[in-house]
Amino acid sequence: MAEKETPVPRSLLGGDTYTKAVAAEQELRMAHADEDLVTTEIPEGAELGFWKLAGLRFLRHRVATVSLAVLATIAVLAIFVPILQGNLYRDQDYRNGYGQPFLFHARQLTLPAGIAVTVPWTDHLLGTDDLGRDELARLIRGGRVSLEVGLLAMLGYLIIGGSLGAIAGYYRGFLDNLLMRFTDMIIAMPFILVVVAVTAALGGVTLQTLILVIAFTGWYEIGRLMRAQFLFLRESEFVQAARALGASDFRIIFRHILPNSLTPIIVSATLGVSGIILLEAALGFLGYSIPYPEPSWGNMLQGFEDKLLRDQNYLVVFPSLALVTTALCINLVGDGIRDALDPRQR
Amino acid sequence: MTSYIARRVLIGVLLLLFMSVIFFALTRLTPGPPFTQGENPRTHQELIDKRIHALGLDRPWYEQYPAYLNALLHGSLGDSYQYKKPVSTLLVERVPNSVILLGTSLLISLGIAIPLGIFAATRQYSKVDMATSVISYVGISVPSFVLGIFLLIFGAIYLRKLTGNTFAFPLFGMHRGDDQSFLDLVVHMVLPVTSLAILTIAGFSRFMRSSMLEVLHQDYIRTARAKGLSGRVVNYKHALRNAILPIITLVALQIPQLVSGAIITEGIFSWPGMGLLAFQATVDRDYPVILAVVMLVAFLTVLFNLLADVSYAVVDPRIRY
Repeated sequence: MAEKETPVPRSLLGGDTYTKAVAAEQELRMAHADEDLVTTEIPEGAELGFWKLAGLRFLRHRVATVSLAVLATIAVLAIFVPILQGNLYRDQDYRNGYGQPFLFHARQLTLPAGIAVTVPWTDHLLGTDDLGRDELARLIRGGRVSLEVGLLAMLGYLIIGGSLGAIAGYYRGFLDNLLMRFTDMIIAMPFILVVVAVTAALGGVTLQTLILVIAFTGWYEIGRLMRAQFLFLRESEFVQAARALGASDFRIIFRHILPNSLTPIIVSATLGVSGIILLEAALGFLGYSIPYPEPSWGNMLQGFEDKLLRDQNYLVVFPSLALVTTALCINLVGDGIRDALDPRQR
Repeated sequence: MTSYIARRVLIGVLLLLFMSVIFFALTRLTPGPPFTQGENPRTHQELIDKRIHALGLDRPWYEQYPAYLNALLHGSLGDSYQYKKPVSTLLVERVPNSVILLGTSLLISLGIAIPLGIFAATRQYSKVDMATSVISYVGISVPSFVLGIFLLIFGAIYLRKLTGNTFAFPLFGMHRGDDQSFLDLVVHMVLPVTSLAILTIAGFSRFMRSSMLEVLHQDYIRTARAKGLSGRVVNYKHALRNAILPIITLVALQIPQLVSGAIITEGIFSWPGMGLLAFQATVDRDYPVILAVVMLVAFLTVLFNLLADVSYAVVDPRIRY
């Protein structure tokens, strides 16, 4: 934002000089009357839209920006590296189980010019697991699963919770009651058991069923938030004005209420993604996420006792680290978004 | 007020009924019979079929449900398939273990989180405040199983190496062998309680901080300061009383969780509590146990939600139902 010009104090110029200056300014203004003076007088900041301003505010939040960069790196790695690596994540090498991480050996490389150089080299940067599979490849592929589940299940939350919450908040009545009772019921249930029982009833876990089950059992928080927003905004003056002008329900919901209710939803959705990722990892840890050999950060930690007793702690440390880093970054980004969208609320 | 409570009780009962139908159907609709796991593979199929028939599991779920509901209303939870004893006995054995573990952790985390939250709020943007928010961020982002595993690595494995094989916290269980002493229990509780408490502290201190901040920005606090009261009196006498109310509700709503246990932490530390029981029952398809645990937790949740709402009205005369 451009700084406001501080007007020159009157006393400095003296009475006479001041009136002359004002007259001169008037003249200038008259001369340029054809130019659009109005826009030029508005400070720069106001020309930026709400989202651009929020973006700028977010970038000023250093921790959040760094977290976003880390997340972007993880996402890019998780999306593209598995394509290049093919089946590396499931190739077993029984003779080289429990290969230690960061073990480099010298390797002769012949450069195109025919010069032989010796470089430090490692086949498995982060070592290999109990079956001799490359730990780094599994970690990256596991990240893909985590992000996929996190984002798609959140999309499900937004679709189910968003629409039901909006309808309940706007129309109230029977539907509202039904929604609130459903929420009570979900809260009263032990969530992990529910997911385990439902996936069992569906006959085994695949990535699709996992995402669907999480989406159908976990949407209530977004739903409640959306309902609260709609309940509050439907009584607000600008909505009443729109209604008085004869706007249809459809128009009021999508043009007037929805855009104004997005801020808390966006924040809650961002933070919710880390919650889903941790939930998926917990299920994987318990053995109820996607089955082997597909890796996920949770199921890589399964059977941790065995790894600890064999003193192969790195196999526990790397997936944990990946999980905590991702969750922490998402939470920090979510917090940055909250500050950026609603600077008053801190 | 009376009609409100009556309505809530009615809704609660309907809710519980509905949940029992859903969970009953869910367990029965799972493909395959329940006795396939953990059974001697050489058991004759006839025997298994006989047992399934005796329990009525070969009929569709909607024919089995009335019998289940009838037994439930007469106070019978049925017999566990795995443990071969009444589910009620099982609950009586397991509930105290979970309450001990989670109750201790709840008390400890309240004892740390409330002062921490107050301290952070009264010195907003100070170093202590920043440190508190960093701790709570990390606490929120660390899943309980990761924390549990790392506590095991350090508390049980590295500590043994450090002390030259003389001392380490036990890897699992509540008691060593037949040693039923209190000291043994405490030693076994250190790691699981720490792992639970750290996560709860993270959440509670954040909540306490924001609750306290909200109160501190109110007019009556400014009035109290303007009257010249000392900061201590204002903070602890005027502000704290109002700021602590939401925490009390939060704690009240946590009580059902004391009974339901912590599935993951109990699993990691092999703590014989309700969480482990429920998870094992789900894995083993021990239908009566699954249903009993789910319904017990649901009942307590509904009850304590109602109590929380009613006590709100009692404490705050502005709330009318």
